[in-house]
Amino acid sequence: MRHARPVRTLASCAMLVVLAGACSGSFGMPRGASEQAQETFEIWQFFFVAAIPVAGIVYVLIAWSLVRYRRRRSDEPGVLGSQRAENFPLEVVYTAVPVVIVVVLFALTIRTDDRVTAISPDPDLVVRAEAFAWGWRFAYPEGVTVVSPPSGEEAAEPVMMLPLGETVRISLTSNDTIHAFWVPEFLYKHDAIPGHTFEFDVTPTEAGTFQGHCAEFCGLNHAYMNFKVQVVSPGEFDAWFQQEAA
Amino acid sequence: MRVATRYFVLLGVFAFLAGVVYWFITYESVGTVLFLAFACTPAIIAWFAIRHGSMRDRRPEDDADADPAERAGEVLGPFPAETVWPIFLVLGSITIGASLIYGLILVPLGAALFVWALLGFTRESRG
Amino acid sequence: MTTTIDRPPQAPAPRPSPGIVHRLVSTDHKNIGILYCVSAFIFFLVGGALAEVMRTELMEPSRQIVSNETYNTLFTIHGTVMIFLFVAPFASGLANYLIPLQVGAPDMAFPRLNLSSFYFFIGGGILVLLAGVASAGQAAAMGWTAYPPLSEIRLSPGVGPDLWILGIVLVAISTVMNGVNILTTAFLMRAPGMTMWRMPIFTWNMVVVAILGLVAFPPAAAGLTLLLIGRRLGGLVYDAAAGGDPTIYQHLFWFLGHPEVYILILPFFGVITEIIPVFSRRPLFGYTGFLLATLTIGMLSTGVWAHHMFTTGVVDNPFFAAMTLLIAVPTGVKFFNWVGSMWGGKIWFAVPMLFSIGFLLNFLIGGVTGVMLASPPIDYQAHDTYFVVAHFHYTMLGGSVFGIFAAIYFWFPKMTGAMLSERLGRAVFALLFVGFNLTFWPQFVLGQRGMPRRYVDYASGIGYDTPNLVSTIGAYLMAVAVVVFLGDVWRSLRRRRPAGDDPWGGYSLEWATSSPPPEHNFDRLPKIRSVRPAFDRNHPGSAP
Repeated sequence: MRHARPVRTLASCAMLVVLAGACSGSFGMPRGASEQAQETFEIWQFFFVAAIPVAGIVYVLIAWSLVRYRRRRSDEPGVLGSQRAENFPLEVVYTAVPVVIVVVLFALTIRTDDRVTAISPDPDLVVRAEAFAWGWRFAYPEGVTVVSPPSGEEAAEPVMMLPLGETVRISLTSNDTIHAFWVPEFLYKHDAIPGHTFEFDVTPTEAGTFQGHCAEFCGLNHAYMNFKVQVVSPGEFDAWFQQEAA
Repeated sequence: MRVATRYFVLLGVFAFLAGVVYWFITYESVGTVLFLAFACTPAIIAWFAIRHGSMRDRRPEDDADADPAERAGEVLGPFPAETVWPIFLVLGSITIGASLIYGLILVPLGAALFVWALLGFTRESRG
Repeated sequence: MTTTIDRPPQAPAPRPSPGIVHRLVSTDHKNIGILYCVSAFIFFLVGGALAEVMRTELMEPSRQIVSNETYNTLFTIHGTVMIFLFVAPFASGLANYLIPLQVGAPDMAFPRLNLSSFYFFIGGGILVLLAGVASAGQAAAMGWTAYPPLSEIRLSPGVGPDLWILGIVLVAISTVMNGVNILTTAFLMRAPGMTMWRMPIFTWNMVVVAILGLVAFPPAAAGLTLLLIGRRLGGLVYDAAAGGDPTIYQHLFWFLGHPEVYILILPFFGVITEIIPVFSRRPLFGYTGFLLATLTIGMLSTGVWAHHMFTTGVVDNPFFAAMTLLIAVPTGVKFFNWVGSMWGGKIWFAVPMLFSIGFLLNFLIGGVTGVMLASPPIDYQAHDTYFVVAHFHYTMLGGSVFGIFAAIYFWFPKMTGAMLSERLGRAVFALLFVGFNLTFWPQFVLGQRGMPRRYVDYASGIGYDTPNLVSTIGAYLMAVAVVVFLGDVWRSLRRRRPAGDDPWGGYSLEWATSSPPPEHNFDRLPKIRSVRPAFDRNHPGSAP
């Protein structure tokens, strides 16, 4: 095995890059401001950390063959490469290894998917989110509602208030066309489809104001159909709620 | 069965099984119908291939030791050189489609154009 | 005229250059192939120009040069043109030109049908462009996916969407005609000795593509027709208020839409699989394994459509996640076939090979990000963001379009008899490769940072500014690459540096005839004893 050593060196370099990437953090994505989001963040991290060595190995193989097996000036014009076209054991290995990888990825996916989409039997708060072209109506219990001002490019964004650390059920629908409720910091979006009502839970773990978007193309002012989510302590939330309900 | 026929049978069986599995996992009707429709497409071709000669019989191209020279001089049949009918066929189709937008008054015009082109097409391929 | 196979060899008579009218009505498969490729490339220029306008708009935050409405039309027509009128028809063009040559046939099985499929494609293409320029407020602006209720008449009034639907239906008809033709030619018109397991990979891949087209286009045509009926005749299938369901459309559309992406990529898997072994001076590593992988992709690709619908809540996400992850396996296998074909070779870095290597490097990124998106929890976040935009451009532009350029540089000498410039070709490759990665790598970053797609406008100061600026610069660089390429084509057609029959030392049968080939392709066929008949003829010593 004359070429084994450089391959090994390159492979360990690739591993180093992976470890550096894994330690340096988030690959640019939000870390997740809710319990569900942290699950998604972890699996995405895992997919990245798994993808980098896989891609790295293939890149190293490509680079190695291009460099090592290039035609050189000293070669005769009609020179041929090796004419070997098969290696059955090798082919079995490079088919089996990806199968194992995707089975692992699938198992993790299912586990996380179950946790992210799990619905609590008794949520602390239920908010009905109704999307329309081009704005949002957030309906809280006792008739408290927050509505987008009449839509337009410069319209202010409605604010959805949420209590920190409590499980909030969001019940999502649309009354005209398909929209999608997306808060990047919650690492979750769901389509709002006329005729359907969808439910999902969010348990905010971080106080602050987060940007929300409509993510499903819905026509003229799609780019301006934004909203804000403000996560505050349960005490502040109650104060706000009392004030609005009064 | 020839390779091609086996391939179509395989595709049909795959799609049928996928449809059955899909139904019992999801009980979702649109996808099931799509899978079963998919199963039909290769099944029709496979049925044709098994029943009719052109694909059933062994052909010289399946003989690994055949020599192209064996076919020298064999007449393959006529190949058309030029035809203008496809252009009118498309114009006819567009006119029929456009009638939905611009008024059904266009249907007779489109249909006439389409039939005329189709007749021309067919006559040309006979002659 | 009546054609016989293997006419006695005769000195090639100087052929008069056929007039433009003859070219437009000739049923010769080579002529139709070139018509397809040239028209598809013109659509590419149109779609590319639209993309440049969009990138210019997005270069800086807030709106500068187009209105919301125009922007929506821009990405609608850009997507439609690139997918339905450029990449897929270009593959059809290559198939029309190459399949009869590669299997040793004098023409496609149904030449008149072949010309019809071309004109249905052109008709559809013109309607789609008309849909984009329909008068103000009338143009198609509902995205290339045209989801109802947005595409219903109350939300998208005007004739634009109707013309768009008619256009796509015509393209669907064209695809079905072309698919029938390809299957019949590949299965029934092969030369003696060209068994199925000796068919070149490109032809095999087009067979799978043809079947996918036959299977996937009719449901979408039905879905679109129901949409048109809803718009113009009062149909209610997608109307939730009347008991219908808009998600039915999404099923029908994506049952086309996902096989369609394999319709867009498989031909170019085929192209680079023809090119890499030739320039490595090696046989393809693992022909049988490669074929089985292609057939597996063909089957699995029909069972993954709803991974575009993970966030709709109306499909079984684990089923589609499993199918989508599984399809990564045969795709991964192909990478090892390509590496194996280069390993131990004597690689000649000619321009077609450069584009094929670019294909490998780009497509790999598209592939691994595709595996991420196959996982529903990740897709909940990444769906409809620039992460997805970057992902599919890495497969379709970094993959398919690099494959298209590889194919042009590889087969242009065969089609015209003239060589393209090696030097300019390298420049095109460098510009396109750098420009492409500059354009789309930052879009992964944008997606990670939470920028949604199909937004005409974005806020400044939250990490979107720099990536967008870099992306736009990259897009301009790609435009320069295309201009250089057109200059190269124009120059070589004027200078006509003769290519000879076989400038690359090719393997399949098209390299065993003249450039361009005579009217019915072959004056004399070599014996076919392996996947590489032309190679065997030139290297009698190493024949099996």
